[in-house]
Amino acid sequence: MGMSDDEIKAAIIEKAKKSPKPQLYIKDFYKCDPDTKPRKIKNLANALVREGELMFWSSGSTTMYARPDRIKNEEGDEGIN
Amino acid sequence: MAKHDTPMLDELEKGPWPSFVSDIKRQAEKNPDCWDILGQLELSYRDKITHWKHGGIVGVFGYGGGIVGRYSDVPKQFPGVEHFHTVRVNQPASKYYSTENLRALMDLWEKHGSGMTNMHGSTGDIVLLGCRTEALEPFFWDLTHELGQDLGGSGSNLRTPANCLGQSRCEWSCFDTEEACHHLTMHYQDEIHRPAFPYKFKFKFSGCPNDCVAALARSDFAVIGNWKDDIRIDQAAVKEYVAGNIPSNGGAHSGRDWGAFDIKKEVLDLCPTECMWMEGDELKIDNSECTRCMHCINVMPRALRPGKVQGASINIGAKAPILDGAQFATLIIPFIEVTAENEFENVIEVIENIWDWWMEVGKNRERVGETMQRVGLPTFIKVMGLDPIPQHVREPRSNPYVFWQEEEVPGGFDRDVEEFRKRHAA
Repeated sequence: MGMSDDEIKAAIIEKAKKSPKPQLYIKDFYKCDPDTKPRKIKNLANALVREGELMFWSSGSTTMYARPDRIKNEEGDEGIN
Repeated sequence: MAKHDTPMLDELEKGPWPSFVSDIKRQAEKNPDCWDILGQLELSYRDKITHWKHGGIVGVFGYGGGIVGRYSDVPKQFPGVEHFHTVRVNQPASKYYSTENLRALMDLWEKHGSGMTNMHGSTGDIVLLGCRTEALEPFFWDLTHELGQDLGGSGSNLRTPANCLGQSRCEWSCFDTEEACHHLTMHYQDEIHRPAFPYKFKFKFSGCPNDCVAALARSDFAVIGNWKDDIRIDQAAVKEYVAGNIPSNGGAHSGRDWGAFDIKKEVLDLCPTECMWMEGDELKIDNSECTRCMHCINVMPRALRPGKVQGASINIGAKAPILDGAQFATLIIPFIEVTAENEFENVIEVIENIWDWWMEVGKNRERVGETMQRVGLPTFIKVMGLDPIPQHVREPRSNPYVFWQEEEVPGGFDRDVEEFRKRHAA
């Protein structure tokens, strides 16, 4: 029996909060529930962006995920909330 | 009136060719912020380092792509480019525009952005250069609501699909590239607008092996028109070419006298597989040896045409040389039907097989072609559920070991050792 969507979301948020790196690749979240297909993890991570729990950071060629309070906004020195 | 001294950039206006410096100066007369592009670039030339910061969190609500954050690292010196984000707009299929649409798009960009554009970016998008963060949402609203256009892909998303002119202009197109590109663009809106993969993924659709959109070199998933039966020959037209009554290459070489058309020298001897010959005044082709190079068809378009059983080949894994050097795509599926009648479901099935595997196996920032290279083509073909074909083999094997899978061995790998030892003493 795999984890529920809410349990996976909570694990993703936990990972984003506690990871030494503030910005994470989507693959870093796959380990939150190895039994769940990558595509579903991606959908849940993107849902967390819509809900304001995570933010996208993009170099233009790669996209990463971060907690809003852990990511540097290039328009200022403070984290944004 | 120039805002900054730009002696090095000014040198780039002196040649006989068009100059981007002159273009920016012209735009700066309308939008003074553009002087700061030139000022910052001059500083970069002097310092031999870019003064753009890398990436950012900017975007429009609900999207995770289409906007590429660009900030100056010397904003006090060049406030006009403090924020200078790039906006990628999904181009129409085959890049057909009305002048009305182009004017409306440019008016919109001058209202919200710098007015600087790049028509088009390498992926194919309309690239609009230079927008402040606070102008992104108003621009996006007007783009989608007034012009009915949308952003393209960036980051780890499916990138904006691109296609050649296809059947709208070209008699050689073996499938409707515009319909295929449009259908898959609509089908994969989520993947275009939000990140989905370990890295970028590109589709491109070319109608024939001339590959005018360079899908073979530039896309992770290249759908290139092909045919399964024989090249159609009009022998009467062949005779006309030989007699010099029809100009070769559609008249493309008419600006100079290249001498009389010589079918042996210009067609038969240039066939890479030597599968063409003349019997009297009849042209013969051993179609089983044809590699679809298109040379003979390009030279004698009124005499030769692609066959009637048309579809496409699927080639996977091309990329530019960021890691490991550039690579062309590898032919994986020699022929597949590509038709809107089944909503391209057989193409979609192949795409999703690749994605499911790559999302799991691909490393961060690894293109699918690099993953294929890392695991090896035999493994990739097995994952795709395909039988190998001779064209998948680069050269005959040079090592004598054959590695069997358990299911390929009758009885599997379990065996009775005692029974074996009766026949093969230790």
